[in-house]
Amino acid sequence: MSADNAGVIHNIGYRAYQGQRLGRAEIVRALCWYSLRSAFGFGRGAKAKIVPVLTFVVMCAPAVISAVVIALSSNHTRPISYDTYVSALRILVLIVFLAAQAPDVVSRDLRSHTLPLYFARPIKRIDYPAAKLAAFIIALLAMIEIPLLILYLGTVSQLHSGSQIWHETKALIPGLLLGVAWAVLLGGLGLLFASFSGRRAYATGAVAIFFFMTLTLARVLIQIGQESVGGAGLAKLAGLISPFTVLDGLRQWLGGTSLGIVPKPGGDGVLYGLMFVVFLVVGVGGLILRYRKVGVA
Amino acid sequence: MVSNVTSTQQPVIAAGKLTKRYQGSVLALDELTVAIPAGITALVGANGAGKSTLIKILLGLLPATSGSATVLGYDCVTDGSAIRTHTGYMPEHDCLPPDTSATEFVTHLGRMSGLPATAAKERAADSLRHVGLYEERYRQIGTYSTGMKQRVKLAQALVGDPRLLLLDEPTNGLDPAGRSAMLDLITRIGSEFGISILVASHLLGEIEQICDHLVALDGGRLLRADTISSITRSSEFLLIEVDEGGELLADELGRRGLAPVAYQRGLLVQLADDADHDTVRDVLADLGLPLNRLEQRRHRLEELFSDVGSEAVAYEAKGAADVRG
Repeated sequence: MSADNAGVIHNIGYRAYQGQRLGRAEIVRALCWYSLRSAFGFGRGAKAKIVPVLTFVVMCAPAVISAVVIALSSNHTRPISYDTYVSALRILVLIVFLAAQAPDVVSRDLRSHTLPLYFARPIKRIDYPAAKLAAFIIALLAMIEIPLLILYLGTVSQLHSGSQIWHETKALIPGLLLGVAWAVLLGGLGLLFASFSGRRAYATGAVAIFFFMTLTLARVLIQIGQESVGGAGLAKLAGLISPFTVLDGLRQWLGGTSLGIVPKPGGDGVLYGLMFVVFLVVGVGGLILRYRKVGVA
Repeated sequence: MVSNVTSTQQPVIAAGKLTKRYQGSVLALDELTVAIPAGITALVGANGAGKSTLIKILLGLLPATSGSATVLGYDCVTDGSAIRTHTGYMPEHDCLPPDTSATEFVTHLGRMSGLPATAAKERAADSLRHVGLYEERYRQIGTYSTGMKQRVKLAQALVGDPRLLLLDEPTNGLDPAGRSAMLDLITRIGSEFGISILVASHLLGEIEQICDHLVALDGGRLLRADTISSITRSSEFLLIEVDEGGELLADELGRRGLAPVAYQRGLLVQLADDADHDTVRDVLADLGLPLNRLEQRRHRLEELFSDVGSEAVAYEAKGAADVRG
C-alpha cells in the first residue's frame, strides 16, 4: 500500500499552518460541544442515537399529550405540574439516559486510552473533566427543560389574557430552576460513576446500580417509615439516601407544593439542602480527583 | 507563530540533570543532561530505559523530580501549554476510539490543538493524505489494520502543524513492509516537511537508517549522544564472496594491510577509508577471482553498545547486518 502511495504523498507537499490558533478557553468550548454531541450520539453511527433519541421522545411525550388535552378540553387546565413534571417517568427516563449516555461522554476515552492525546494538547488537566461535565449538564438540561418548555408553550398557546400567561410563566420558572439543580447533581454523579471504568458495560452498570439501588432503598424505607408508628423520622432520613429523593426534598423545602416522592420535610428540609450540597461536592469533586489521578501512560 | 528558536544551532530539546523518580523509588531518569538539535533524532534504549518518561516530561504530562528541560526554547514546567501547541505526540500504545472515523477523530484533535473548525477540517484531511489514508479515512477506525491505525496516530500528531514531533515506538506492531513504510513516512516528514522529530525506539537497527542524530539511554542515564554518521563511521564493513580461491584472497588481502575475517561464505573486511575499497578491487582484479558478491555492510548500532572490541564475533552473534547497496 505504502509503496504505491509514496509518490502521491510526495506530490501533495506540506503546507504549514499560518492561521489563527485558539486559546485554552476556546479549546475547552470545542471539547464541550464535541462531548455534548456525543451525549446524544451525534458524530457516530445510527445505533448510538437510539437511546438518547428514544429517551428524549418519551420524556417529551407527556408534555405533548398535555398540550393536546389542553387544546381539546374546554377549561384549558394544565394536567402536569412544572416542578415535578411526571415524577416517576422523569426519574426512570433519566436513569436510563444517565446509564446509557454518561459512559459515552467519559468512559469511551478511558477505554480507548485517548486521554494522553488530550493532555498532550494545550489544555490543562482540569479542563477535560470540566468540559465533559459542562457538556453532560447541558445534555441533561435539554432532557429536563425542553419538555417543560413544550408543556409551557402548549399551555400558553391556549391562554388569551396576559395575566393568565404571567401566572403560567411564574409557575414555570421554579420548575426550570429545579431542572438546573437536577442536571447539575445528576450530571456530576453520573459522570463520576461512569468514569470508574473504561468498559462500557461496567460504567453503565455502575451508574444504573447507584441511581436505581439508592432510589429503591430510599422508597422502601420511606414506605416502611410512613406505615409504621413513629416512623416519620425514618422516612425523612431515608429520603436523604437517593439523589432523586434529595432533589424532591429540596423542591418541597424550597416551597414546592405538588405531591412528591418524599413526605413533606417540614422543618427538616434543610437536611435535604445540605445533602444536595454533599452529593454535588462528591460528584463534581470526585470527578476532578478522578482525572487528576488518571494515568497518561 | 512565535518562535523561541532563533537559530538552528540552538537545541530543539535540552535537558539538564533531569531526574524522575516514580513513587516507590523507581529511578526512571537519572540526572540526564542532553541537547538535541533540529532534524531527526533517535531516542534509543531498552524497554524501561526511560524513553517514554523523557517524552512525557518534555510534554509537561509528567513533572520531573528535579532538573530542568526546555523544548523549542520553552520551559517544560512553566510553558507546558506553549510546548504542547507546537509539538505533536504519537503515543506508543493504542489510543484510537474504534467507533469513530479517522476524519472525524483527527479533525476533533485538530480542534483540541487550537485550530478553528474549518482549519481543523482541512488540516485533518491533509494530514491523513500525508500519511497515506485516502478513502479509508471515512471508515470507522475499528475496521483498520494495525498499519493504518499507526498512520492515524501519526496524522493526529501532525494535524496541529507542529514544529516538533515526539514519536514513541512508531513501528510497534507493524510487519516489515509496514515498518519500512512508517520509516519512509518519518523520513519524509523530517526532510520535506521540515519538522524536527524525536523517535523513541528499542529497535536500533531500523531507526539508525532514518536518523541524523542518536541519543542512547540506559537505565535512565545518557549512554551516548552523537550524530549517526560519527557513531557508525568506524563500523563500515565490506563483504566479499568469491566462487573459488577464498583462501588466496584472504592471504593477499592480509598482505596488503587489511584484516579479513571469514563470515558466512565470504570474507568480511573492515574499511578505514576509501583507499581500502581500491585495495579490494585491485586484489580481486590481480588474482582474477570469480567475484560472486561485493556488499557494503554496517554494524547495527546495538553492537556498538554491546561490544565494539571483537567486531566479527559481535557481528556474527547479532546476525545479519544492514545491507547497503
